[in-house]
Amino acid sequence: MSAASEPAIRPDAGGLASPEWGGFDMARTRGGGWRDVRRSFATAVRLGWQMEANWTDPVLFFIYSVAKPLASALILVVMLDVISGGARPEYRAFVVVGSALWSFVIAGVSGLAWMILDDRERYRMLKYLYVSPSDFLALVFGRGVARVGVGAMGALITLGVGVVALGVPFDIGRIDWPMLVPVLALGILSSLAIGLLLAAICMQTRQESWSYPEAAAGALFLVSGVVFPLAVLPAPVQALGLITPLTWWIEGIRRSLFPGGVTAIGGPGSVWTQWTGEAAPSSAAIILVLLGTGAVATLGAVAVFRASDRRAKDRGLLDQTTGS
Amino acid sequence: MTASAPGAPGAPGATRRTSAAPGRNAFVYRPTASPQEAAIWSPRQVAMTDLRTVMGRAYPRVTGLFREKSWVFFEILLPFLSTSAFVFVYRALEAPQQYIGFVVLGGAMTAFWLNVIWMMAQQLWWEKSQGNLELYFAAPMNIMAVLFGMAFGGFVMSSTRAVAVLVIATTLYGVTFAIDQWALLIGVFFLTLAALYGLGMVLASLFLMWGREAWHLTQLLVEPVYFVSGLNFPVGRLGVLGSVAISILPLAVGLDAMRQLAFADDPYPIGTPSPAIEALILAVMVVVFLVLARWALVTLERRARQEGRLSVRWQ
Repeated sequence: MSAASEPAIRPDAGGLASPEWGGFDMARTRGGGWRDVRRSFATAVRLGWQMEANWTDPVLFFIYSVAKPLASALILVVMLDVISGGARPEYRAFVVVGSALWSFVIAGVSGLAWMILDDRERYRMLKYLYVSPSDFLALVFGRGVARVGVGAMGALITLGVGVVALGVPFDIGRIDWPMLVPVLALGILSSLAIGLLLAAICMQTRQESWSYPEAAAGALFLVSGVVFPLAVLPAPVQALGLITPLTWWIEGIRRSLFPGGVTAIGGPGSVWTQWTGEAAPSSAAIILVLLGTGAVATLGAVAVFRASDRRAKDRGLLDQTTGS
Repeated sequence: MTASAPGAPGAPGATRRTSAAPGRNAFVYRPTASPQEAAIWSPRQVAMTDLRTVMGRAYPRVTGLFREKSWVFFEILLPFLSTSAFVFVYRALEAPQQYIGFVVLGGAMTAFWLNVIWMMAQQLWWEKSQGNLELYFAAPMNIMAVLFGMAFGGFVMSSTRAVAVLVIATTLYGVTFAIDQWALLIGVFFLTLAALYGLGMVLASLFLMWGREAWHLTQLLVEPVYFVSGLNFPVGRLGVLGSVAISILPLAVGLDAMRQLAFADDPYPIGTPSPAIEALILAVMVVVFLVLARWALVTLERRARQEGRLSVRWQ
């Protein structure tokens, strides 16, 4: 039999054997540092993508990935047309870009939170993942990244449909690349940070938490200038929007893709214009504020996640399954 | 001996205590000559068992409202903010006040649609993943009663959210309703709910056969359905697409009828039937969905048994 012919210790497991001197090597408990974290992250991304994408054939998966963001954009386009009768094309670009980017945010926010719920409630693997030598945070991020990939695809296709079918004016030669690249990177990090915050909350709550990420995203939708300028909101709510990194991210993407378009932050009646006297924030201001608010969100999210992690261990929530 | 243990069936006093409980007479232990005779239930026993099933399945949903309070924040406040975002879109566009009312009414009704999708359609698949589904089928009860229980519990849960969104948004955004036909409005509301939950039962039966597709398709039924149902605008604006939606989606036809009835003073875009006809469409939907749900449940259960899918988890 093949099992009988195998050596007691396989060659590829040689490093796992006892040290030559037969004792316990304490150095092994420290792991491989960043190399291990990177490997855990890459494995989690791969696993997440396979779980996201292998449930159906590519055509249905494509429809699924695109239908949601596209429908969201169409709701807003019809609302716009019902009222203005197509008389405000610049506002159409504003809502299409905003809703396309928002699908990305929802993917980032829900991806991380659903990873916790999926593995705890559905697959019941969370406790095993937790006790594995992999860094838990790297696993959570890795699994969330797969959903972000799906969200990014939906956002790109929504933008494409907006340009091709909905008459959104777009000129690839006018893209402000030096602004787009850093803003995009900082925005993705900020979305993931908010997702981590929701993951921390979902670790504490029950099965109905499936809807929490989208509910939270819905609240942020209100204050982030996604589909209407912040100036229509009451001043305190506008101020809340200004400390949200997503507001600056969406403004930065809009500015870099559609220079000279409608601003969500400035304009008559806006808190920004009242405070600074500027009609709209400059590109440098957008990047700087995004950097600052994104850093605060990221550090805060990591701190909350760590606290939630401790509480979950303390109260036995990691293997809790709920139902209603 | 077990039979003579206090409280055991047949033990002195057991029958008296059980039958003393209100509404429990149908479940009193009765000695029978054979197991076959014991399996013959009177219509009353069947009805009482189904009623208890409905209550038992609704119980965790209703009681759950009081067990963990975080839902107040996540299920009421945050969705209200989401509805508010669409109110501000119309404000940014300087739309007539009537449209803000449309959004508020749509925002309230989303609570029921989300409940139907997340906690009706997907529930049997979810129960399968949790290992409860085989217990449902093994228990001496009608699975339709389980679905009714889920619907009733879900209705209570969603009503709180819908009422909260409606009251807060109406107050905050100055929405005024002009209702001439209260009876028809209330009738349309309940017919819409009955049709929605009937559709939920049909979907729940379909999802009995599916694996992870159910989860993903559930998500697919949110925004696209919002769009074709005219959640934030009159569905008549969608032309043929809106007409199709009115003929198959309870959310579309119910919302349109309620808008026509709740804003009777305002001019309403033409292109959709009158509320009375829409009420008739809803009544037909209720019957069709309930019959379809019954048929789908029996057929798909049989097929799922044949293919061994009832207890397959995590696929």
